Amino acid sequence: MVQFLQQLINGLSIGSVYALMAVGYSLVYSIMNFSNFAHGGVIMLGAYFGFFGLTLLKLPFALAFLLASIGTFFVAILVERIAYKPLRERRAPFLYFIISAMGASILLENLVIATIGPTFRTYPEVFSKAPIELGPLAIGRLDLIIFVISAVSLTLLILFIDKTKLGKAIQAASYNVKACALMGVNTDRVILTVFGLGGFLAGIAGVFFGMKYTVYPQIGNITTKSFIAAVFGGLGSLPGAVLGSIILGIIETFVAGYLSSQFRDLIAFVILIAVLVVRPTGIMGKVTEDKA
Amino acid sequence: MKKLLFAALAVALVLAGCGGGGKSDVIKVGWLGALTGDQAVWGENELNTVKMLFEEYNAAGGIEVGGRKYTLEVIGYDNKGDPQESVNVTKRLTGQDKVVAIIGPNSSGNAIPMAPILEKAKVPDIATVATNPKVTVQDGKVKPYNFRVCFIDPYQGAVAAGFAYDRLNARTAAVLYDVGDDYSQGLREFFKVNFEKKGGTIVADESFNSGDVDFRPQLSKIKASNPDVIFMPYFFKEVALSANQARDLGIKATLLGGDGWPSDQLISMGGKAVEGSYFVNHLDYADPAVQDFKTRYKAKYGKETELNGFLAHDAVLLFVEGLKKAGKANGEAIAKALEGIDVQGITGRIHISPETHNPEGKDAAIEKIVDGQYVFQEKYAAQ
Repeated sequence: MVQFLQQLINGLSIGSVYALMAVGYSLVYSIMNFSNFAHGGVIMLGAYFGFFGLTLLKLPFALAFLLASIGTFFVAILVERIAYKPLRERRAPFLYFIISAMGASILLENLVIATIGPTFRTYPEVFSKAPIELGPLAIGRLDLIIFVISAVSLTLLILFIDKTKLGKAIQAASYNVKACALMGVNTDRVILTVFGLGGFLAGIAGVFFGMKYTVYPQIGNITTKSFIAAVFGGLGSLPGAVLGSIILGIIETFVAGYLSSQFRDLIAFVILIAVLVVRPTGIMGKVTEDKA
Repeated sequence: MKKLLFAALAVALVLAGCGGGGKSDVIKVGWLGALTGDQAVWGENELNTVKMLFEEYNAAGGIEVGGRKYTLEVIGYDNKGDPQESVNVTKRLTGQDKVVAIIGPNSSGNAIPMAPILEKAKVPDIATVATNPKVTVQDGKVKPYNFRVCFIDPYQGAVAAGFAYDRLNARTAAVLYDVGDDYSQGLREFFKVNFEKKGGTIVADESFNSGDVDFRPQLSKIKASNPDVIFMPYFFKEVALSANQARDLGIKATLLGGDGWPSDQLISMGGKAVEGSYFVNHLDYADPAVQDFKTRYKAKYGKETELNGFLAHDAVLLFVEGLKKAGKANGEAIAKALEGIDVQGITGRIHISPETHNPEGKDAAIEKIVDGQYVFQEKYAAQ
């Protein structure tokens, strides 16, 4: 039982980081219908921004954290303006967007390798490493903080989308961008908002990932997992992305903890494929019918 | 215009080709290792060492081989820590650059697939920190062109197991290892065999995949088995991550490792989590024999050498002695000359056994991490 609860805590801690990353994929997909693979690169930059904020600028944690999120907010917008906007204006096929996204992702990774260097770096210790012990259970302080901040920021995001005018516009655009534009919504602004929001969360995810593990130029590769979690939960659905991430984190931990880590990815992905075969839109994906 | 440029280029190439074989007496030596990725710290350190030593030899007038003076030139390539890339790089060094010998790589996974190309090209390779037995011996047969200056995994695993049982009085041990890595698998296997032979019990045997950053599921399982020591035979990045996570989970067991540990990054990253841990090393950093090299390296590059530098140093030494003994700059002759050679290196006496191509009778050093420093404990030789 102790084992079970401890593994559940481990799973939630991995899942919450996946969730922060997955939401960025889902947001962009809901409007633009393509997977923004450059998102991994933005997360990686967030980790570096936070790292340099703490070490070079010697900022207090809260400010370094803010610097990272605001930094990635602008990076994400920049990526949209440079890599996607020209394609949008020319009404390029979606395949071109995906290729442009991959290009942006490779560019960001190699930019960091060339300027900052290929070796990994470690965040200074911000929170004590001593775990909070609840009887035989151990909960890392950082894990708890990550979980709480992730939950708060994801709730705020969902509230923003549900309650504000801009949020409503995003919802409308996710149903049909063209019709939305015809109704007088400034879709360009909607798209920028979506990228900015995704970028902001990417900064948070990057800082947390860097603190939990390390900072290195290939962090973006980890986001493959969160992308899959987003698909599993239903691309385009925010609660779906969160749920998918938590489930993926828990499945992974349980397979590694009870069976063997060699089977971890194998079993996790077999389950994901099985779910997608039964429900191609993912757990909470929107069902869109093509009206020809 | 384009044609003219082409012709000029062709002439230049021919001239360059003539220059290599004719007038200037240069012996080309290859090097491969990681210059990007996780292990870039070590690769850079090795290549710097080889460059520095070659410059020193050349400044002293070069090396006399068969009555003629030669200067040494190193051609170093990045293998990105990837076995496939190591094969490509080896092909390039032997086929295109025509080197007489190769130094490196620093890991077994990258050294093992090089053998068929070396044999075809008849170019010997001296690995630095590739400790898996299969680097030089496969299926009981010695590979004619593979050599090394470090001791092998069975020896490291046996040393760690013996030390844990005899000196730390550990009776139960857990192992966490990387299934995707020959090095890690080798150490784990020999640790288990030797620890059980001593009378100890392996209470948990957990694995992870290369590239993983989260080890909590496995560590939670290890915690439940309550071992005296945890053996972590893998590289410093994962060591620091898993040590931090182990402490996060409230595991208090002593951590034990191999020569994949030592690195400044382990201390900066692992911090308190690795404090009080022990690891098996190739040499003692405070040994008087290594001080001269340490100071020369620091003076030239402005930073401390890593463990790899010391072994790259001895690999260069071994190559130069082999070259002199062979009496000609020919890969096949150098390989012959290396068998049975006996050189006093800075990491210890290197006597290359003709049967295994390993340096025989090298002592291992046990080090402990105390206040963020590696503190030499004792020289330990496993029976």
